[in-house]
Amino acid sequence: MSSIGTYFYNIFHSLYTVVVGMRITIKHLFTRSATVQYPTVKMKIPERARNRLFVNIDDCIGCDQCAMACPVDCITIETIKSTPDMDLGMTSKNTKKRLYLPRFDIDIAKCCYCGLCVWPCPTECIVMTDVYEFAEYDRKDLIYSFSNMTEEEIAAAKVRLEQYNQEQAAKKAAAVPAKEPAPPAANPLPPSVPDIGKA
Amino acid sequence: MDLYTIILYFFAVVTLGSACIVVFSRNIVRAAFALLFAFFGVAGIYIFLLADFIAITQLLIYVGGIMVLMLFSVMLTSHQINVDAKTGTIQTLPAILIAACVGGGVIWVFWITDWKEKSDLPVIDTTAAKIGELLLTNYLLPFEIASVVLLVALVGAAMIARREKKG
Amino acid sequence: MEFIQTLLANQLVVSILLSALPLVFIILMVLVVLYTEMKVAAHIQDRVAYMRTGWHGVLQPIADMLKLLQKEDIIPTKADKLLFRAAPFIAFTGTYVAYAVLPFSSIYIGSNINLGAFFLVAAGSLVVIGILMAGWASNNKWSLFGGVRSAAQMISYEIPTALAVIIAVMITGSLNLQEVTKFQDGGIGNWLVFGGPLPWMQKLMLMPFTVITFFILFVASIAEVNRTPFDLPEAESELVQGFNTEYSGMRFAMFYLSEYANLFTVSAVVVSLFLGGWSSPFGAFMSGPVWGVFWFTSKAFLFILIQIWIRWTLPRLRVDQLMYVSWKVLTPWLFVCIFAVGLILVI
Ligand code: SF4
Ligand code: SF4
Repeated sequence: MSSIGTYFYNIFHSLYTVVVGMRITIKHLFTRSATVQYPTVKMKIPERARNRLFVNIDDCIGCDQCAMACPVDCITIETIKSTPDMDLGMTSKNTKKRLYLPRFDIDIAKCCYCGLCVWPCPTECIVMTDVYEFAEYDRKDLIYSFSNMTEEEIAAAKVRLEQYNQEQAAKKAAAVPAKEPAPPAANPLPPSVPDIGKA
Repeated sequence: MDLYTIILYFFAVVTLGSACIVVFSRNIVRAAFALLFAFFGVAGIYIFLLADFIAITQLLIYVGGIMVLMLFSVMLTSHQINVDAKTGTIQTLPAILIAACVGGGVIWVFWITDWKEKSDLPVIDTTAAKIGELLLTNYLLPFEIASVVLLVALVGAAMIARREKKG
Repeated sequence: MEFIQTLLANQLVVSILLSALPLVFIILMVLVVLYTEMKVAAHIQDRVAYMRTGWHGVLQPIADMLKLLQKEDIIPTKADKLLFRAAPFIAFTGTYVAYAVLPFSSIYIGSNINLGAFFLVAAGSLVVIGILMAGWASNNKWSLFGGVRSAAQMISYEIPTALAVIIAVMITGSLNLQEVTKFQDGGIGNWLVFGGPLPWMQKLMLMPFTVITFFILFVASIAEVNRTPFDLPEAESELVQGFNTEYSGMRFAMFYLSEYANLFTVSAVVVSLFLGGWSSPFGAFMSGPVWGVFWFTSKAFLFILIQIWIRWTLPRLRVDQLMYVSWKVLTPWLFVCIFAVGLILVI
């Protein structure tokens, strides 16, 4: 096209495209808007949506697998071994509980809702709920504590464990002269990962 | 003193005051902006001279055109992209001489002019029409010469802009 | 009571009061335009905009204004403090003086000067100075770019505006906006965009050119008020709001007010030059001073609505496209129109 032709073509083309655009926008002016008025109207969230975590502490056996799975380390679990004379009851899946849980904290502010902690749990007691409105004014309030033990109970459990350990040590000391140095596996309660979860 | 006198003096003070800032300010941008108020004052005084067309032209051409161009050139000069762009004093003696000559000339004209005082001057309703008529009858030649000069300037500007592209 | 009477007898006080009248109008108008703009913008994008302050958020503009008034007025340390402080006021003055010559009705016009149309074009240049001043004084590269762009744009588009005004003036034979409006009084057919109240042969010949002029004036006026698609001086995506970048609180509000008041001014210019100003479209029916105000504002609002509609449709032009439109399209076409209109008027 000659340059003068291009000039006129450009003018008419731009005018035409403006009209096309304006027709589209005016159409949208009169279509229903897609906005959901959130706090008053709530959208239905999908069934398997991942939101706030919940721990059914009565079922937790303190195996620490959820904490290990968590990519951001937002679960903190402390456990105290129970002595054989104490019965902590059974979980709903008929697993015997052997550990006290003086501390089970989830820092939900750090949680990325990946759900990785949910799958390994042997008793299925750490689950995702559909609650998503839990903003707080203080970040500390976002550390959820699920443990239901009081201070006294914790202290008592510690004392009992201490006594039991001493008794065992005394027994072992009495048994040593009869045997050669005991293999480490013979230690009745290994200090780290207990293998109770497999029961 | 009636209201109009007060306003007239107000315009005079604005003009002179900002003109002084233009001359004495060391900050070149501030000087340029002060010039704006000087133009305004002058426009106001034109209105008192019943030259409303000239007054508005003053606003349009000087404030809208010349001022903006001046600010442009100041702002687009390199090393000036900073608020404290300063001016200095150079060539004091020639400047004084020229200023004295111009000032003396103005005062001389002021003295020798035979000022006519007329309080019952008829207010011309449409100065624009009269100006147009005069431009196309009595003052046609100067008008045409001015337009030719402007045309030459335009063509020249276009030429300069083009050449830079090629080189 | 007596005090008020003596006060009203004083010419100065009365003129100050009268000149404050447009300010009230501007503020009310800006509130309405802000609300309309936000709602239209939202609905064009299938949203609903504010819904919580009052019924469908009608109180939101007031809340916004109160918020702006309370905000801290921050002045950058390295800014040119004096110019920074003065700039919003200069820009607003430029906007405000234009209201002096707008013929709101057959009996209300701020100042019925004979050069109204010319004065309007001149007043726009003051806004440019304010914006340039703001851009410079902020001592910020975005602001400076915004200011310089704005000045270049306004200067370029002042030419088509002035030429379009000249065409209107050629047909009506007066620079007085009140006269221009009176010339077009008496029904929609007498409006200048349809050739004005001339013999029908002349009218028919004039019509294509007046329509083109009207259209060009409209485009140029959008550019004059820096609105999308000509909002390069603000260009939030590249210049971070341009000359507004460093402004906050009250001073920002001044710029804002000036921008929206300008929006009305340019629409009013288009209306009073080409769409019969305050005159009723039905001739003698529904005409009169009070209806005049109604027609004037509603016609201007129609244009504001169209500008809002355009704003939410078109993307921003590039700088060179901007200059192309002004110098290679609008201005030459207007020259053709001037020539043709002159020829038609003479024969
Ligand atoms: S959802 Fe992911 S981030 Fe959150 S606690 Fe579980 S494993 Fe950690
Ligand atoms: S994985 Fe389940 S049972 Fe194990 S500590 Fe975590 S919540 Fe408790």
